[in-house]
Amino acid sequence: MKSSSEFYLDDVVIRLVQFSVAWAVVAMAAGVYLAAELIWPTLDFGQYWLSFGRLRPLHTNGIIFGFGVSALMTTAFYSVQRTSHVKLFTPGLAWFCCYAWQLIVLLGGLSLLAGYNTSKEYAELEWPFDIAIAIVWVCFGIVFFGTIATRRIKPIYISNWFYGALIIVIAMLHIVNSLAIPATALKSYSLYPGAQDAVVQWWYGHNAVGFLLTGGFLGMLYYFLPKHAGRPIWSYRLSVVAFWAFVYSYIWAGPHHLHYNAIPEWVQSLGMVMSIILLAPSWATMINGIMTVSDAWEKLRTDPALKFIVLSLAFYGLATFEGPMMAIRSVNVVSHFTDWTIGHVHSGALGWNAMITYGTFYFLVPRLVGGELYSVRLANVHFWLALAGTMLYIMSMWGAGVSQGLLWLSVDQIGELSFSFKDIMASMTPYYALRLIAGIIFLLGTILMAYNLYKTIQGRQASKVEIPAVNPAYGIS
Amino acid sequence: MSQAIFNYLLFRSLYEPVSAFEQLAKVDPSPAGILLRYSLWLLLLPPVFAFIGATNFGWRLGAAEPLRMETSELALISVGYLLVLVFGLVSTALISCWMAKTYGANTSLGRHMALITIVGQPLAVASVAHLFPHVFINMLVLIPTMIWSMYLLYKGIPIALQTPPERGMLMASSLVGWLLVAAVSLLGLSMGLWVAGVGPLLGV
Repeated sequence: MKSSSEFYLDDVVIRLVQFSVAWAVVAMAAGVYLAAELIWPTLDFGQYWLSFGRLRPLHTNGIIFGFGVSALMTTAFYSVQRTSHVKLFTPGLAWFCCYAWQLIVLLGGLSLLAGYNTSKEYAELEWPFDIAIAIVWVCFGIVFFGTIATRRIKPIYISNWFYGALIIVIAMLHIVNSLAIPATALKSYSLYPGAQDAVVQWWYGHNAVGFLLTGGFLGMLYYFLPKHAGRPIWSYRLSVVAFWAFVYSYIWAGPHHLHYNAIPEWVQSLGMVMSIILLAPSWATMINGIMTVSDAWEKLRTDPALKFIVLSLAFYGLATFEGPMMAIRSVNVVSHFTDWTIGHVHSGALGWNAMITYGTFYFLVPRLVGGELYSVRLANVHFWLALAGTMLYIMSMWGAGVSQGLLWLSVDQIGELSFSFKDIMASMTPYYALRLIAGIIFLLGTILMAYNLYKTIQGRQASKVEIPAVNPAYGIS
Repeated sequence: MSQAIFNYLLFRSLYEPVSAFEQLAKVDPSPAGILLRYSLWLLLLPPVFAFIGATNFGWRLGAAEPLRMETSELALISVGYLLVLVFGLVSTALISCWMAKTYGANTSLGRHMALITIVGQPLAVASVAHLFPHVFINMLVLIPTMIWSMYLLYKGIPIALQTPPERGMLMASSLVGWLLVAAVSLLGLSMGLWVAGVGPLLGV
């Protein structure tokens, strides 16, 4: 009889899928509510906790840290076992990461609603949460790198390089950016003064986008796309080159968030140039993904999830082109502080992050429980809802953003501003209504997926998957 | 190019796109013939409508007063618009032809040119909305039209280029990626030109 140590640990993976989907529904619902508030501001009913300023960080933190990080933990824990041919290192610590992370997101979210906020974007949580995040993140690193250290196979597969970069760089960014002097139990002041604080914040902020929402999800892509396609990645060499180019160039791109601000111009120019260079590794990965899937077209007949991944690559291509373009100073001067930026973020968040996660979950969950997906038809409906919602969202924000940029900067012949800020914002209502509809459509799709996955898991346990023997040619003796 | 396929492209593709795609699958038209006799005339519509609309009503961006520009400025913008559209159509046809090898589709450039023209045709016709250049009204007209065009792209590739529907779906998705990039490039290019002094007077 085989001992239990020869089976992968997948219970924690299923639990993380459930948390991730739950956060997706909650945080997207918060986003839809915020979209409605921008049309009908009285929807806050005079309650501080329902105000835009408090709900907005709940929405972003819920998506990035609740939905996104839970999905990354899910796929990292699943794939690192398969690519290392061992069970997760310290299973107890993996369970601790799973639950402790959810507790941080839950309590952190409540603290945001209560008004405790550092005012640093995507790093709004106050110092006790920052310390807790650092501890759990280090534990995540111990589980992940411990599994790699105890692997039975020599090569470290490319997805693990991306997950590894995610863990190391996010730890570095989070700890450095969160350094602060606590004043009370839930109030602190940043260690960095003035413009330096802004530079550190956007070094963190853009690389959170880079190493978490891009790098981490590329780890997901590199493992699950070849699995979906049933063939190896098109060019392994290109994936390794793209990894190092990505890691090297992304870390410099943050200052493009601070164009025309009180930081040295050369720092802005550096951020702009490195952002443009980033296009090369980003598109190398996109081409690698597209070419991998191009020979696996028969799979589209049987795999409803593959469509999500194919489309996520198209939106990845869009977002990674749009970002460098918006980092060019002469474009940024018009686009910055407009809704085009919101549209750009959502072309990445909805089109890339959410789509690839949905595709992965539809692939993963039936395999985890050893059954079939409850409804392929619902998954197909979800696909079209997700596509329609994303397109409508992007288009409405393009329209709003370009109009805002033009109107804000328009001057008459004597150099006076032609339009008032208040009037411009009042004229945005139709675009915001379109965005609300887009958000509702996308949320509806996510709820369908939650139901579909719930019915797939219902009454089932994680199936026991035996760890296969390693080919001696690749094994660690 | 036979007169029959020309008629299909000209009229039937608007209301019977599938039969137009089926007809297209039987011929290999000349790319220059498609471009000069058909596509170019369609591509003229949006800039002409935009010019007429902007001269009469100004750009209506939602604020109380429309944004008005000199006629010469508007003519320059319209010529730029036409050049970008021609570049967009030709480059998309070339890219589609290049992608066809990967997806086992027909590689006749003329057929790709005709297919992209059929796909873009509803957008060219819907650009009649430019006659009243209110951004939101134009979006309301052009977004559903764009969805229809995307449907034509996904539907048309497997039929006109004779590839299995699944491979056609992959090829169409790759082209959507390119078209999204082209669309956002147009926005970026416009902003770059505005900042450089072409177009509306901006305080930058």
